[in-house]
Amino acid sequence: MSELALDLSDVAKTYPGRVRALRGIEMRVGRGEVFGLLGPNGAGKSTLVKILMTVIRPSRCSGTVLGRPVGDKHALSRVGYLPEHHEFPSYLTGRQMLDFFAALSGVPKATRRRRIGEMLELVGMEKWAEKKVGGYSKGMRQRLGIAQALMADPELVLLDEPTDGVDPSGRRDIRDIVARLRDDGKTVFLNSHLLSELEMVCDRVAIMVQGEIHSQGTLDELTLGQRVYEVQCLPEAEGVLRQAAEGLDDEWELEGGVLTVRTEVADVVQPLIDALRGAGQPVLRVQSKRPSLEDLFLQAVTDPETGRAKSPGAADNSDSGRGK
Amino acid sequence: MLVQTWALILAAYRELNAKKLFWITMGINLLVVLLYAALGINDEGVTLLHWQFSDEFFNAENVPPDLFYRFQFVSWGIPFWLSWIATILALVSTAGIVPDLVKGGVIETMLSKPISRTRLFLTRYSTGLIFVLLQVGVFSVGCFLVMGIRGGAWEPRLFLAIPIVLVFFSYLYAICALFGMLTRSTITSLLLTILVWFMLFLTNAADGLIIQQREGVAVQVERLEEQEANRAQVLTMTEQNLENTEPDSPMHGQMVRNVENRRLGLEDTRERLEARRASLEMWKKWTSAVGYARTVLPKTSETIGLLERYLMSREELGRLMADRTGIEINDDDDIPAMADPEAVRRAELAMRDRSVAWIVGTSLLFEVFVLGIATLLFMRRDF
Repeated sequence: MSELALDLSDVAKTYPGRVRALRGIEMRVGRGEVFGLLGPNGAGKSTLVKILMTVIRPSRCSGTVLGRPVGDKHALSRVGYLPEHHEFPSYLTGRQMLDFFAALSGVPKATRRRRIGEMLELVGMEKWAEKKVGGYSKGMRQRLGIAQALMADPELVLLDEPTDGVDPSGRRDIRDIVARLRDDGKTVFLNSHLLSELEMVCDRVAIMVQGEIHSQGTLDELTLGQRVYEVQCLPEAEGVLRQAAEGLDDEWELEGGVLTVRTEVADVVQPLIDALRGAGQPVLRVQSKRPSLEDLFLQAVTDPETGRAKSPGAADNSDSGRGK
Repeated sequence: MLVQTWALILAAYRELNAKKLFWITMGINLLVVLLYAALGINDEGVTLLHWQFSDEFFNAENVPPDLFYRFQFVSWGIPFWLSWIATILALVSTAGIVPDLVKGGVIETMLSKPISRTRLFLTRYSTGLIFVLLQVGVFSVGCFLVMGIRGGAWEPRLFLAIPIVLVFFSYLYAICALFGMLTRSTITSLLLTILVWFMLFLTNAADGLIIQQREGVAVQVERLEEQEANRAQVLTMTEQNLENTEPDSPMHGQMVRNVENRRLGLEDTRERLEARRASLEMWKKWTSAVGYARTVLPKTSETIGLLERYLMSREELGRLMADRTGIEINDDDDIPAMADPEAVRRAELAMRDRSVAWIVGTSLLFEVFVLGIATLLFMRRDF
């Protein structure tokens, strides 16, 4: 059995009009991971997920889903999926809807009967099981959608904007569900632009911008080389701190009594603390900082030349040599 | 595989069940059956509930009750209710099935399941036929009971309505499914389907008229041939008489004029015969051309007409029609060819003699072709 739940290389999609939604995605997601895909609207996140779910046909694609080629329908029986803008049949009750989609996944009747109760309880929708889906609120539909994705007890769960339209307590519930899935050894692929949500639950993330993966890895890997230490002193002690910092090999800056050193090693700031103490000056604060996911995201979507956000969406037909 | 198929069928039934139009149509269906049951026949004529309509021909002495009920079914049950009204209601009810399937938000979840696109589309298409199956099933059972209880004849052939109407509807529904795929709009696909249906109806009507015209001209040719033979015989006899008559006889002059007149009459008949023969050839070519064109199109009217063929024999229908309308063969060859009752009768027979294999087989080929294109579009489309 492959150790990777998703192993994708060179996934490209060009829509009619030479709109290049994906430009050769390389991505690996290990089994049992919670993986987050983030990016601005129109970056190609949903297109990628839809390709994995056979909803969209790729222009180019090689890789596997749960060890089977992308597009293999058999693999889909082990995958659960919650689409972004789903619309479930309004004439079915919650129970009937879960039964219907589980049956489409090939789940036997006895198992469906058992799983429906479990899943409704998991998403807190037991009381609404016999009501028509047409009468549900958006948050309730989202919860039911998650239950639908989990009905076949999948090994891989793809959730496209799962917290969309869900209130804060609902979001916490969804995070708990994701954590529970991870504890059960499931692989969860989260597609979201809510960075805080992803930061809280994901083991690894990928940032997608304009149809390409800008960066991917654990938060530690992505922030490697971007950690800073801050040492704060009284304004009158700035001279002591500046003098001590002169001997550092790492990049630093001093402003308003706060010395910021860009380093991964805590030992680097020890001489600074020693110098302040030696001069009889108090050390007001020593803090290690690394960029948040939001910082990384903004870095990724900002054009380094203009300092402005890159144009939204993946549409770009300037390079027509690929993706045919 | 069965689990998935059954799930789709069950969901389709639940969808229909949730539609008001389904139950409205079912209600109208039952009303039509009740109206059918309200009809009756006695020694004086036809009855509707307690009203009596005296009729010299349509009374129990001339028409046995079972034949009366079968004739009513064939006269208005098939051509009006099943062929048009019920079918339009069925199309309105089911036209949304394919556009709803390919609607954003629904299709993503469907396609993410381990079911092939082909099977998903074709199963979904088939579930649209459930509507017709249920409606025609109820209608047939109702009419069967009416015919048995009121007419005294339990007629199992009535249940042929179910497969025949189902096949007939499936042609139109395949067209509707294709338009649904192309336009993703329920109302547009419905209107386009009705437009195509109307065009098919027109081709069928044109086919019927051309055949009727051909048969009318053929009847005229036959009559002229007969007339020519008669006139030739009379002319020969007159010429022989003339030869046997003395030239100085007082009758001779008159007989010469007779021979001359009959010769002119014969020539006139021959000229008209040639003209009609040429006309017949032309109509035969037209019949062939329209026939070839119709071979590749679905035969909606003829398919539904099969029901009439199975429910009433040619003799029964001919007798009822002739007796009721008083149609008689008219020897006057000046009336329009297609209006000749004999031509009408022959055209009806010609249409009725078309094989089931040609009617249904070629129509199903058309359906497979249209459905194939729709399936291909579904398979290749990004959602």
